[in-house]
Amino acid sequence: MESDQFFRISGMENGHRIESRILEERLQKAVERGHRFLEVEAFGQHGIGGRLWKAGDEPVTVRILGSPGQRVGSMGFPNTRIEIKGPASDDVGWLNGGAEIVVQGNAANGVANAMAQGKIYVAGNIGARGMTMTKHNPRFDPPELWVLGSVGDYFAEFMAGGIAVVCGYEPQNPENVLGHRPCVGMVGGKIFFRGPHKGYSHADAKLVPLSDDHWHWLLGNLKEFLKAIGHGHLFQEMSHREQWQLLEARTPFEKTGRSRRSMQSFHREVWEKELGRGGLIGDLVDMDRSPIPVITNGKLRRYVPVWENRKYAAPCEASCPTGIPVQERWRLIREGRFEEAIDLALAYTPFPASICGYLCPNLCMQGCTRQTVKMPPIDVSLLGRESIKAKAPELPSPSGKRIAVIGGGPAGISIAWQLRLKGHDAVIYDMRPNLGGKISALIPKTRIPEEVIGKELERIREVVPHVHMQQRMTRQDLEQLKADYDFIVIAVGAQKPRILPVPGKERLIPALEFLRLSKMDQATVGRRVVIIGAGNVGCDAATEAHRLGAEEILLIDIQEPLSFGKERKEAEAAGARFRFPCFTKSITDEGVELTTGEVIPADTVIISVGDMPDLDFLPENIATERGFIKVNEHFQTSDPQVFAVGDAVKLGLLTDAIGAGRKAAAAICDILEGKRPKGDVRQRIPYSRIKLEYFDPRLMRFDDVNQCATQCSSCGACRDCGMCVAICPQAAISRKEVKNPTGFEMVVDPERCIGCGFCAGTCPCGIWNLVENDPLD
Amino acid sequence: MVSNGSITPSTLSVKDLPWQIHWDKDKCTLCGRCTAVCPVHAIELGVHRKRIVNVLPLEGLHPGNGHSNVYQVYHGIRQKTDPAYACVGCASCSLVCPNDCIAPYRSDEIDKLRYHINQGGQPRRRGGRRNATDPSPGGILDRIKFTRISMLTDPALDAGRHEFELRTLLGRVLPPEETLRVYREQGWIPPVREIYPLIIGSMSFGALSPNMWEGLQMGVAYLNEELGMPVRIASGEGGCPPRLLRSRFLKYLILQIASGYFGWDEIIHALPEMKEDPCAVEIKYGQGAKPGDGGLLMWYKVNKLIAAIRGVPPGVSLPSPPTHQTKYSIEEAVAKMIQSMYMAWGFRVPVYPKISGTSTALAVLNNLTRNPYAAGLAIDGEDGGTGAAYTVSMDHMGHPIASNLRDCYLNLVKLGKQNEIPLFAGGGVGKYGNLASNAAALIMLGASGVQTGKYMMQAAAGCLGSEADRCNICNIGLCPKGITSQDPRLYRRLDPEKVAERVVDVFLSFDTELRKIVAPLGRSTSLPIGMSDALAINDHHAAERLQIKFVV
Repeated sequence: MESDQFFRISGMENGHRIESRILEERLQKAVERGHRFLEVEAFGQHGIGGRLWKAGDEPVTVRILGSPGQRVGSMGFPNTRIEIKGPASDDVGWLNGGAEIVVQGNAANGVANAMAQGKIYVAGNIGARGMTMTKHNPRFDPPELWVLGSVGDYFAEFMAGGIAVVCGYEPQNPENVLGHRPCVGMVGGKIFFRGPHKGYSHADAKLVPLSDDHWHWLLGNLKEFLKAIGHGHLFQEMSHREQWQLLEARTPFEKTGRSRRSMQSFHREVWEKELGRGGLIGDLVDMDRSPIPVITNGKLRRYVPVWENRKYAAPCEASCPTGIPVQERWRLIREGRFEEAIDLALAYTPFPASICGYLCPNLCMQGCTRQTVKMPPIDVSLLGRESIKAKAPELPSPSGKRIAVIGGGPAGISIAWQLRLKGHDAVIYDMRPNLGGKISALIPKTRIPEEVIGKELERIREVVPHVHMQQRMTRQDLEQLKADYDFIVIAVGAQKPRILPVPGKERLIPALEFLRLSKMDQATVGRRVVIIGAGNVGCDAATEAHRLGAEEILLIDIQEPLSFGKERKEAEAAGARFRFPCFTKSITDEGVELTTGEVIPADTVIISVGDMPDLDFLPENIATERGFIKVNEHFQTSDPQVFAVGDAVKLGLLTDAIGAGRKAAAAICDILEGKRPKGDVRQRIPYSRIKLEYFDPRLMRFDDVNQCATQCSSCGACRDCGMCVAICPQAAISRKEVKNPTGFEMVVDPERCIGCGFCAGTCPCGIWNLVENDPLD
Repeated sequence: MVSNGSITPSTLSVKDLPWQIHWDKDKCTLCGRCTAVCPVHAIELGVHRKRIVNVLPLEGLHPGNGHSNVYQVYHGIRQKTDPAYACVGCASCSLVCPNDCIAPYRSDEIDKLRYHINQGGQPRRRGGRRNATDPSPGGILDRIKFTRISMLTDPALDAGRHEFELRTLLGRVLPPEETLRVYREQGWIPPVREIYPLIIGSMSFGALSPNMWEGLQMGVAYLNEELGMPVRIASGEGGCPPRLLRSRFLKYLILQIASGYFGWDEIIHALPEMKEDPCAVEIKYGQGAKPGDGGLLMWYKVNKLIAAIRGVPPGVSLPSPPTHQTKYSIEEAVAKMIQSMYMAWGFRVPVYPKISGTSTALAVLNNLTRNPYAAGLAIDGEDGGTGAAYTVSMDHMGHPIASNLRDCYLNLVKLGKQNEIPLFAGGGVGKYGNLASNAAALIMLGASGVQTGKYMMQAAAGCLGSEADRCNICNIGLCPKGITSQDPRLYRRLDPEKVAERVVDVFLSFDTELRKIVAPLGRSTSLPIGMSDALAINDHHAAERLQIKFVV
């Protein structure tokens, strides 16, 4: 095509550059008028050669001389061919829709930005951000950018389609034809290039082998490109397949992000290589620090269950001063071993029927776990009364050790009984012809049938010998006993009544004296009886006074009366009244005069403010405190050979005296065996460990001992119910027969157990405990 | 408490506790996992009695005949009400429950337990974080907006595409003329480190479990060596494992010295064998979580390992008093401490103090500006976390970081030294999950970098704590995630590799987010430190106080 066939439009008019808008108008008008060959003398005008759709399907050629402005050929149409006879400014072929644009020189930044169709041929190098945001619309052929030399930085950013060919001929930077960081965000298209590069975005693009198809396409089109830019002679030089490489966008599935070393590999190959095996602290500890699950077994459990059978005393046992394991007796009954249950008590008390069945306020019942939730305690008195049938145990052969027990009351009998059961000779010395002390001499008949006491004393007499002393014990007698016996036990009780130091005190009748005479039916009372001291002994006196015919019985006290239980109830039933606070000033023939001046009329005044032991016979080396014998926790006096128990040490209940006897006997046995006396160190089991929900809360009374036995929660002693075996979610608990007093034990398989504590949560008896596992380091 | 037992002043019902365990009987399979995992034994298997009254037609019946009571027993999960076993809301039970039948729920009113956690006259102590009384989400940092979005006014950058070099300087930067003078005179030029602006704040070996500590360190090493991010981590007080001291990884560590000086003799002994200098030395004078208070590592936590690292025999309590013992005035204290620490590494390692947020921060800063050796100042605001502190210290003491930092920065501006002494801010950065925006806000308020601790525990190890008093039992060694426990049975739940991976995740995503914030400012190679014209807040008072724009 000769240049004289071109319709010329100049960007300069009358010496002035015309605006891009005017030039565009003239170009469009020229095409409209049928011109198909246009030559533009450009002076930096914008967007020359684009949008020439008015030519329809007819090809239009735009030849540009001079300096085209930015975006030459932008929005170009497929009918358009633009030849730029020199270098071009920014954004050549911007949003190209099909035009073929030839730049006979270098092109600046942004070549082919957002091009969707058409071709751009550049006979030199291009600036930054070429071939960015290009598309390939499947309705059309992909766009192509051909660059003879090299491309600038950030080439092919966000390239979404099309083909770029970078021929690497006389590149701007001979070491890198693709510029800095090409292909960032590239999602489609291909880049053929020839020459070295300095990396591209591996996350977005990949180098692929040049296939035969690729190569044939490249060769064919390369020839056309070179011809178009007038460099056909370079074809030979550039047609060496091995010089070409191909970059393709990664598919979404191929995008892996930047590939990184795994932490595991870093740990092993970098971290531990520098620090040594075991990492940071491998030199300091050799413990395993590898990951473990949250739920663990064996030694990795934080907590472990422990079967604490009989570690604690049941509350009944712990509350009983005598220390009778009541729950054991109920267990034997549950097991159908009724006789053993009855006989068991004799190992603890010589008076299982008299005291447990009648005379004791039954502290075991007060302590019963069931009481804590207002369920009726197991009625031990039923069992106590049955105990009249208990048979005296078989006695071991004598050990040769001899112990003298001074006093044949409950405390003395208890210790002698216990010592004899252990095989030692215990002899009771007592002033009275019959054993039994208070029980036989003072307790009113209304409280207990005489035959019960009689039968139990008979059983005792079979076991314990008794010396009936004809006179009061003296110091010399005691010294002699000390010489004759291994140990002496003083159990003389408190027989000396405390008398108020008030005028007329000689008119007072001591309560114990009154009870003793009353029991022998030798006491008499007036119509009106005042009892000073409203404790349980006072109550007994009131009941007896009533029996003997008193009509008005008043118990006075300086404080709220401490009496309780059966004694109090029976006194009240006898019509006795209680009054406090009353401070006695004197006793007159009128009655009791109070410090207020009031006189309470009385025919008989009984004093019941306590009793003191009569300890005249004590040698001086046996210390006393406020009139009572001082003992240590094992009831040993300041003379190690002498023990003291019962009211001579401290006023208390019958069961206190019996318990003291039992404990002192145990201490003596320990000493005789050369051991340090240890006593019972078991603590009462915490109530919270017992689960009473297994029992019927509406059961208000017990018909017989069998029912009692079923309702006993067996606190602290395994009842072999198997709840733990059943509840364990890991099936870790099993029952094992062993040779221990229980005959079995519950064992945990540590490799199955997870330390959940369900066993402890479910156990009715509170046997299982969940404890912290041993520390690991 | 038994159902009809007696009460004491501290007898509480489940309702009175801060957390109530909801348990679904129908879904429960009684597998025991919840009670096995509960860190504080707040739940146990309970035996429950169920009564059914069988009613017959009423005609012709009399009391005692006909109707019957049937008692059944069922087993279920029961919550304890003893204050010593109160649920802490960690939800470990839910975590292990195979049937989703158990979870703690927060009480619908303020709990009564808080009035009873002072048994024996011992006020409450806990680990974790401050309790936010303000129920509105986010602190001041979360409310700061970045309002300068430069689409056309500055060369806007693409956070995803452009290359960023988000680095900051730790160390004293001399003014140019001073640098030239010193250079000419061959004098001492203070060491300066170019580091990543997000620093993992001080958490000691001892406060953290060995697996947690190692995981953090490993993650930091990975970021440096595999990803080229110069991330640094502060050691906390409590020494440093000897192997780390003798490894090249030491350069990623900011060694902390605090009032207990634990482990420092081991550090001194390691000096001749060190391959690398540490990044810096941080002198701790205060901690944001418990300003003005010290710490006490109880003897039972000082096991063989902790003892070896701290350079003490096992089984002794280790006190870190509130104050350093040999310092008497700010001039003397700071100067002498900084000198000593510089000397240890031949004046090659930057040394800077860290204080808790306080209204006296300016006094400290002014002192540092006159001390050419001071490499910077770190301020830990009231929202900082801790392994153990009195609740009163945590909840009520300290200074919020934003205004404290801002005051300090503006003061430096007044002195013309804002490019000379870097300020590092910490304490609640990212406490509501907005790590990058909080950090960027602090940077634009004037911080050269930020320190974060709690966020790392949550993101890298799954810490359950919250500003609403959830879990927060870091102080008693029972951390259900094994983050703050020295018991292998707990800390082995944590895999150091997994922690390290999460550290890497956190920093990479932080980096992207930070770029998203600074790219519209046209910043890619220098942090917008003090670029407060980019900030605004919809609170007039806050805007005035921070000297940033007020927007509505």
